[in-house]
Amino acid sequence: MSFTAIAVDIILNSLVLGGVLLIVAIGLNIIYGLSRVMNLAHGSLYALGAYAGFTLVASGLNYFAALLVAPLLIAVVGLIIERVIIVPVRKRSIVYTLILTYGLMFFLDGLIKYFWGNEPRFIELPQFMRQTLPIAGTHYPVFRLVTLLTTAVAMIGLMLFLGKTKLGIILRAASSIPEMVSCMGINMTFVHAGAFALGCVLAGIAGVISGPLYTIDPIMGHEMLISSFVVIVIGGLGSLRGAVLAAFLIGLVQTLAEFFVTDLAMVIVYMMMALILAFMPRGLLGEGRFE
Amino acid sequence: MKKAFLTTILCVIAGAFLMVPNQAIAKDPVKIGVIVPLSGIVAQGGEEMKMGIQMAAEEKGTLLGRPIELIVEDTQVKPPVAVSKAEKLVFKDGCKALIGVFSSGVGLAIAKNIDRLNVPFLTTHVMTTKFYGLNPLVFRSGQLANDQTAVGNVKGILATPDLKDRTYYVLVHDYAWGHDAGQRFVDLAKKNGIKIANEDFDKAPIKTKDWSSYISKIKASGADGVYIALITNVIPVFAKQAYDFGIQKYARIVSGAAPGPVELEAGGEACVGIFGASDWCWDVDNPISDKWESDFWKKFKTIPSDAACHSYVGAMNLFNGIEKAGSTDPQEIADALRGISFNGPYGEVRISAKDNCMRNSAVLTETKLAPPNPYDAKIYMKVLHTFPAEELGPPAKWN
Repeated sequence: MSFTAIAVDIILNSLVLGGVLLIVAIGLNIIYGLSRVMNLAHGSLYALGAYAGFTLVASGLNYFAALLVAPLLIAVVGLIIERVIIVPVRKRSIVYTLILTYGLMFFLDGLIKYFWGNEPRFIELPQFMRQTLPIAGTHYPVFRLVTLLTTAVAMIGLMLFLGKTKLGIILRAASSIPEMVSCMGINMTFVHAGAFALGCVLAGIAGVISGPLYTIDPIMGHEMLISSFVVIVIGGLGSLRGAVLAAFLIGLVQTLAEFFVTDLAMVIVYMMMALILAFMPRGLLGEGRFE
Repeated sequence: MKKAFLTTILCVIAGAFLMVPNQAIAKDPVKIGVIVPLSGIVAQGGEEMKMGIQMAAEEKGTLLGRPIELIVEDTQVKPPVAVSKAEKLVFKDGCKALIGVFSSGVGLAIAKNIDRLNVPFLTTHVMTTKFYGLNPLVFRSGQLANDQTAVGNVKGILATPDLKDRTYYVLVHDYAWGHDAGQRFVDLAKKNGIKIANEDFDKAPIKTKDWSSYISKIKASGADGVYIALITNVIPVFAKQAYDFGIQKYARIVSGAAPGPVELEAGGEACVGIFGASDWCWDVDNPISDKWESDFWKKFKTIPSDAACHSYVGAMNLFNGIEKAGSTDPQEIADALRGISFNGPYGEVRISAKDNCMRNSAVLTETKLAPPNPYDAKIYMKVLHTFPAEELGPPAKWN
């Protein structure tokens, strides 16, 4: 295997890993940025998205259709959670939502275990996505390339939504100056609910693309939640641009470390986080919030 | 006459008073602590272990004339959690023996505390070689140890033309069992002229989900064989990702642990072509095995797994040991377990009196698309070779 082929493998692997991390982390960041809720059940919603995708595909739905439907189902679940659990304690300290969403995480994990069991699941892919594609001397799985494309489409769609639509502009304004938005007669209840639903849609998308990429199991969300926190800490709390940079940086560092110094890969990622926290407490782009 | 009548009545009443506590004692169950992982990465394996032990308890019915009560606790595959659960089972619930445990790390943690717990501890799944002669109260009866598995796999590689002349890349899970399994294989493979691509083998964190970096390393190494010592439930996950990258087109996978049948089903065709030495799989063909499989399927409607079978055999050895001891005294049970044997689905499983660990025959299997079968399984482990117990052997110092 040539040097170019190895480099292509590493770059593509890091982009795929970074892409999945990004979608989950951005969802978490949007919920926090717009409604000041640190949703510890976000990883479980990601897992629920994967199981929803698995069930839809197993029932005969096309993978791409499942990629559209499953996130919407997770958004509905998210809206119910927001109304029933978050709203009653929204005006209290952030500790209340932390504890409640922590409990919710175990509740959702229990539900998943109850309905789908403990055994790992894999999402069946269309035949063309099960092939490998020769690229610069290496053979790379087509569905991983499709995953990259999906990540790019999701992120472009999100940027267009937040930047070009009235609703997106309201959401962004509410993130920076919620009092002003409220004074303009915009119902903040809808803003908070919309933010939560949007975050859940992203968790759902990440879940469905992770299904064939890794494996689906009841605790898949736990590790992803921790990785997402690392992304938003490195990127800066509440900073979307920072999260994008952080996700791909982590993807690259982790992939390189796994390739060259396998045993220390995760140590290196967490050391990087510690150094950035120490010297750049507002994240890579200095846009993060202090709370 | 009147005096004799009164004496008889008094004797009957006294006898009745003496009998009451004895009957109460006789009805007290013998409590056995079952410590298995029911959450986390190996939860499915833990459920199957629980089923195997439950089946043995039901088949046995009573111990020392008393009912058997299994008290199940979840280790979460975390050594500190497992130790505190073991303490609860012994000190609070009054369990007379502990059985189960999936991970070597968890098994070693409990073994370290066994003198304080003062009950016999029989593991059905800990594979580390450190268990040989570890403590008079610690036993292994169930899955082959790492050295026995390595012998089986190396013999299997040498006996299988498609595996023999390959260079193996070694990848293990980063904890006690993985390190031990990897080192045993590398040492034995080198002695037998099998080429190893990375003697300083890769140790992947247990929580690894994305194996793409490791697969890139395998591709870059030029190896055309992969030896994995990954937790059983993760094997199909790795195999699936390796398949996605096209590794199986030119390389063969040999595994230091048998993949669970439920997980094989989930992995589908990507799991075809995994070789490995194991004690048992449902392709093992003998009347005891066939009956056990059939009973297991009827009871649980789950594909009979090696995890369940190991646990069943281990539990039968433990229960027979308690009966042989004739009491629940820990030292007496331990003495009775040394040298005991049980003829089960994979033949005679004997616990050595020298090192407290089992000896049994094993099979080399290859995962293939399954022929029509009662379990509706699509993938199965086909038996390629059978190795007698004396060929697999433990370390020389115990022989």
